[in-house]
Amino acid sequence: MSAPLVIAVPAKGRLQEKAHEFFARAGLALVKPRGARDYRGAISGLDDVEVAYLSASEITGQLAQGAVHLGITGEDLVREMIPQADRKVVLLDGLGFGFANVVVAVPQAWIDVRNMADLDDVATAFRLKHDRRMRVATKYINLTRGFFADQGVIDYRIVESAGATEGAPAAGTAELIVDITTTGATLAANGLKVIDDGTILRSQANLVAARTADWHDGARETARLMLDRIVAHSRARAFREVRTRHKGLDEALLATAKERFGVMAPYGGPTSSGMMTLHCPPDTVHGLANFLRQHGAETVVVAELDYVFARDNPLYEKLAAGL
Amino acid sequence: MNQATKDLRADALVASYERAGYAPAAPAILQPAEPFLDLSGEDIRRRMYLVNDPAGGELCLRPDLTIPAARDYLASPQAGRPASFCYLGPVFRQREDGPAEFLQAGIESFGRADTAAADAETLALALEATALYGLARPDIRMGDVALFSGFIGALDLAPAWKRRLAKDFNHKSHLAHDLDRLVLDKQNGKPEYQGVLAALANSDPKAAHALVTDLLSIAGITAVGGRSVGEIADRFLEQAELGAGSTLPRATRVLIERFLAIAGDPDEAAAELRALAADANLALGPALDLFESRTGFLAARDVDPRAIRFSTAFGRGLDYYTGMVFELHDPSGAVKGELVAGGRYDGLFARLGAAQLVPAVGFAVWIDGLIALGGSAAPGGAT
Repeated sequence: MSAPLVIAVPAKGRLQEKAHEFFARAGLALVKPRGARDYRGAISGLDDVEVAYLSASEITGQLAQGAVHLGITGEDLVREMIPQADRKVVLLDGLGFGFANVVVAVPQAWIDVRNMADLDDVATAFRLKHDRRMRVATKYINLTRGFFADQGVIDYRIVESAGATEGAPAAGTAELIVDITTTGATLAANGLKVIDDGTILRSQANLVAARTADWHDGARETARLMLDRIVAHSRARAFREVRTRHKGLDEALLATAKERFGVMAPYGGPTSSGMMTLHCPPDTVHGLANFLRQHGAETVVVAELDYVFARDNPLYEKLAAGL
Repeated sequence: MNQATKDLRADALVASYERAGYAPAAPAILQPAEPFLDLSGEDIRRRMYLVNDPAGGELCLRPDLTIPAARDYLASPQAGRPASFCYLGPVFRQREDGPAEFLQAGIESFGRADTAAADAETLALALEATALYGLARPDIRMGDVALFSGFIGALDLAPAWKRRLAKDFNHKSHLAHDLDRLVLDKQNGKPEYQGVLAALANSDPKAAHALVTDLLSIAGITAVGGRSVGEIADRFLEQAELGAGSTLPRATRVLIERFLAIAGDPDEAAAELRALAADANLALGPALDLFESRTGFLAARDVDPRAIRFSTAFGRGLDYYTGMVFELHDPSGAVKGELVAGGRYDGLFARLGAAQLVPAVGFAVWIDGLIALGGSAAPGGAT
């Protein structure tokens, strides 16, 4: 028997909840056969998968080393912790949760600092006046260094901060910070403001593949099956199924509907009896229903979809291209 | 023992520096990381070998010997008085090519007031290093940071721009970018407090400063993040003075570009600089006088000025250099990178916490580069 495909999933908190929901929606139920406190799990119905419950930073480290095949972690950690990340991992897909920005924030009292060019100037003036460099408190050492270098800011020092970074300026241990924020409320509560062009990274939870893991044929096949379900579900969420029967529905009308409402006709044009199935983005469904009735349809039925399996599997193709 | 540590020519080189009056220095290999990060910038962090000490500080394996030698001198009773040192020992840097531990030799001259003579002596001793390894005529590249700062200082420019251009000098891609921006764009669009700034622009500076300080105090702000209210008010008003519509005059840009294009041997360069100063009616006096005086001292030490490739745009990318900077290269190009590199860094000791100005000049020798030349020892050298 070959080694299982290992997927690393956040071990606690909202990220774990959201990750479970994400897999469950794709019909992949994560189970812990040995009880809720176990740190190894499985996916029901898939024999060759092992789920490893780890912290987000451990997941990132294991992906970098190729110790797990797939993992769910934030892009911020991938970019911070893995040097030349694109050589080590493939970011397969943003998962639509865990949104947060890595930003440069300065004291609100700095009314003369609005953008990075201001900060650059202030940093140099600060060094000339105080004979030391301005201190930036952060846990994102590599992201900060890369971003500041791009912006031409050199007169700064990084002070590593493990937690409560936003308190550093008030505590006098740093002049400014680079930190992760979702709403900016914590920054504001600590008298800080985000610099206009100081967003280093817009991050969210990602499904990430390790390029250096042991991708034997069995692991690839298991990944293909899993990703097929994930793609089928995300396709399904992007559309509603619209069905109607109407003799007058011709190719010209269909072309107009495609253009105006972004619909797709997965099974081609209408049948001989005028039955038609369309896939339509949720926000244009009502417009389409009106359009079809204006052109003679009696009834238009709209339903949610669970899965749309197509021949292609863009996530797997992305994975295969990266291995 | 690697090959480099057995290289007898390196020992002979340092012995000759000792005979020239440079006392051997042997700083600790394990150093506090802070001074290196503070002086060289965060970019050096990824090349350093860092460890945490139990007290929570950061230590490193020394990535060079200049800062350790300077710290030892500053902590000694000699501090502030003239003293000269030479060294030979391993330094540690993460490198893509070559081992992380490699040998560096060098000299440091601290506290000498005769700047031009000390500069010339330093370059002459640097040339001894390549000569000892069989390279009598290296490619000598030279610049002078003091000429650029003197030039920018003499221009009729707002302090904010002078500060910025002086900083950018060590980062040439940014300098070009900034020149474009200063000429073409309105500075960063309109400031947020346009109305306030306009109202303050023509008022009495003292009163304006008091007003801004008061406003910040009313908001309950004292000194957040290490900048005082006064500093913030100063720069806020400086921005007001610059105004939204002001840009670098095109003529000034042309002048900066003409200055940075000056290159040649030091005598040619000095003539061109005198012409530029006369045309633009700029006072480059002291920096240029020192430059010419140094060339004279070099000739007196048998260094042919015509063998030096001087360029006003040449810098070493480190902001603690304050005057002459130079690098010696393999003219054949077979060995990449500098073989010997150094210059004057009068700002170093202030950054290390010295209360008074201590002039400093020196260089480092990359022994592995010299060995890679593959030359035989020059006559008279140790073999």
